[in-house]
Amino acid sequence: MHSHVNKFIETAREELKNEPSQMFLLMVSLGAPILRQIGMSSFPDIAAAESYSRAIRADVIARLPELLEEFEKNAKARGAKVLWAQNAAEANNIILDIANRGDVSYVMKGKSMITEEIGLNDHLIKNGVEVFETDLGEVITQNLNLHPFHLVGPAINVPPEKISEVFLKKGLIKKASTDPVELGGGARKYLRDKFRNLQMGIVGVNMAVAETGTIINVENEGNIRLIKSSPKTLVAIMSLEKVVPTIKDAIYMTRMLTRNCTGQKITSYVSMDTGPKKPDEQDGPKELFIIILDNGRSEIYRDFKTREILKCIRCGACLNTCPVYTKIGGYPYGATYCGPVGQVLTPMLAGIESTADLYRACTLCGMCKQICPAGIDHPSLLLSYRARQIAIKNQKGKKTMQSRGENAMAGLISLGMSHGWLWNFGLKITRPLMNSLAKDGYIGNIPMGAQGWFGCRDLRAIPSKTFHETWNDLPSLPEPSGNASKKEDS
Amino acid sequence: MPVREEILERLNSATKSQNVDRPAKPTLSEITLNREQMIQRFESELSGRTGVLYQAGDKEDALRILLDIITAEGLKSFVASSEKIHGVDIASLGSKNGLSVTIPKDLADRDSLRDAAFAADAGITSADFAVAETGTLGLIFNHNHPRLLSIAPPLHIAIMSVKDLYPVYENVMEIVFKDTKKIPSQFSFITGPSATSDIQGIEFKGMHGPKKVFVIMIMQE
Repeated sequence: MHSHVNKFIETAREELKNEPSQMFLLMVSLGAPILRQIGMSSFPDIAAAESYSRAIRADVIARLPELLEEFEKNAKARGAKVLWAQNAAEANNIILDIANRGDVSYVMKGKSMITEEIGLNDHLIKNGVEVFETDLGEVITQNLNLHPFHLVGPAINVPPEKISEVFLKKGLIKKASTDPVELGGGARKYLRDKFRNLQMGIVGVNMAVAETGTIINVENEGNIRLIKSSPKTLVAIMSLEKVVPTIKDAIYMTRMLTRNCTGQKITSYVSMDTGPKKPDEQDGPKELFIIILDNGRSEIYRDFKTREILKCIRCGACLNTCPVYTKIGGYPYGATYCGPVGQVLTPMLAGIESTADLYRACTLCGMCKQICPAGIDHPSLLLSYRARQIAIKNQKGKKTMQSRGENAMAGLISLGMSHGWLWNFGLKITRPLMNSLAKDGYIGNIPMGAQGWFGCRDLRAIPSKTFHETWNDLPSLPEPSGNASKKEDS
Repeated sequence: MPVREEILERLNSATKSQNVDRPAKPTLSEITLNREQMIQRFESELSGRTGVLYQAGDKEDALRILLDIITAEGLKSFVASSEKIHGVDIASLGSKNGLSVTIPKDLADRDSLRDAAFAADAGITSADFAVAETGTLGLIFNHNHPRLLSIAPPLHIAIMSVKDLYPVYENVMEIVFKDTKKIPSQFSFITGPSATSDIQGIEFKGMHGPKKVFVIMIMQE
């Protein structure tokens, strides 16, 4: 993962001025929630449907190790080869080794966030195996070397002119075009021979069913079905939280996934593979490898608080409602996962220290939590990361914060907040000075520091009386009358 | 310690979450549909995805509809899952009308199957199930029915019996996954043609799979 999380603010500023991105984000923020709502409205009781899918994911987290072992046992019994990988390097090497055994000159990949996370493409290409992305969005991001702009439509913001240019250069189309159908048609034609002659395919996994050892892929384009049908070798790679208890849970989650993802009641294809092909079958993989990847998840799981990140099903609904994402788009998040899901996951994968901008870029409005079909409480996780960052001590054993000034300010406030009389005393002393800066009852800035704080908000002028003083000055309230009603109340 | 044990050890040593008491599974409104309503729902959902449903009185009627589709679409070559699908004789339809029909059974290996499937104008297959909920087909893939026939050619024609139409996915999953020893190597739900909206959010059909899907539902066999 080429992370450039450190450029969050810089990239966000650029994206705010980027017209195609802004136009698209406006469309997403208006359209996606409506499409989702239309999809969800086929349920007689939407709230009950959401509670049920949240309960499935909570159940998965509660029984994760047990379900993984059950999945492994059943997948093996059906003839799949199940391999475990600790981290990105291990997973990449396993896949490279599989490719190097036979006559594999190139591989094709279905859309998968996980292979993006581990940087599989780079590893294979560096070692002489050509990689073709097959999802139209990923064909575009691969050729233009872009990060995903959106979890579901990774290149949905890219202007057709830019796509036309690179498709022309790489020979996918013969003459320039800005028509999405012609551009898509070019990619279809370009990849068809490659699908036909494919020796090894790689796909992600939407769900792995413990009860049966089945892996499930949910898609619209048909590239994943081709990859699961044509070659003799298939590698399916999943992060370990993809498991679900039963086949009925899986189909229930599929309903929720597609509605939350694209608003569709179902995608064009939902394919369920249980083991490799049988000996007398003419297509489908002769060998099915399933790689179960940890890459930091077991540590996330050990932490009782962060564990719930693993409920995520990567539907992307949280992106479409996030007031921050829908302004800045996917690029500032600087990694595979963007929007609220990236904000809770990336700090755990890349470290709290280097990702502060991610968990601070949140207004805590709670829309992500409200819409999440998996039941993740993003705001509470982000608050916990903020607290954790503050608690990290530097090498000299002192608490580290953004600056010395901020540290001093926090110290002062904490002192005042733990002694009421000190707080009131401080207020009374600073009131005349502060209020002298106020205009129309609001303080817009103060000299010497705190520019960042005032950059996007104002402070109310300090009232002439404290709450207690106001309270004491109130005329005393009449005694509550009517003893009978008092009894009833209690 | 091997990788697998190390990962499981870390997961198992974590503080246990509370066991989850699931709420009652919400009922779906579709389960009460009768046959007429199911057909209606199936058709409206399928056509919402640009798929086309034809109701055939019997197998002769189905054959006539099939020929109509072939003529209208100008199709010349097919891969078909078998000579006869639900009694509809595809092989003789081909020989009578000078069309090329390839049956996978006659093909030697994977490569010749791939060549045939990618070269054909259309794939004609049986559909083992249909689901009214979303206008969805359910296909079991096995030695009689290769996977590529319904995904590689630019057109997919599915022939099915109305007996196999069910209200919701669960009805079908119960049948397909009932006997753990007989689970097919692949089972797929197919809803309309292949599609994408990856450029500018503009949707079009026929990304990598079929551009059109036709369903012929035989009402009486």
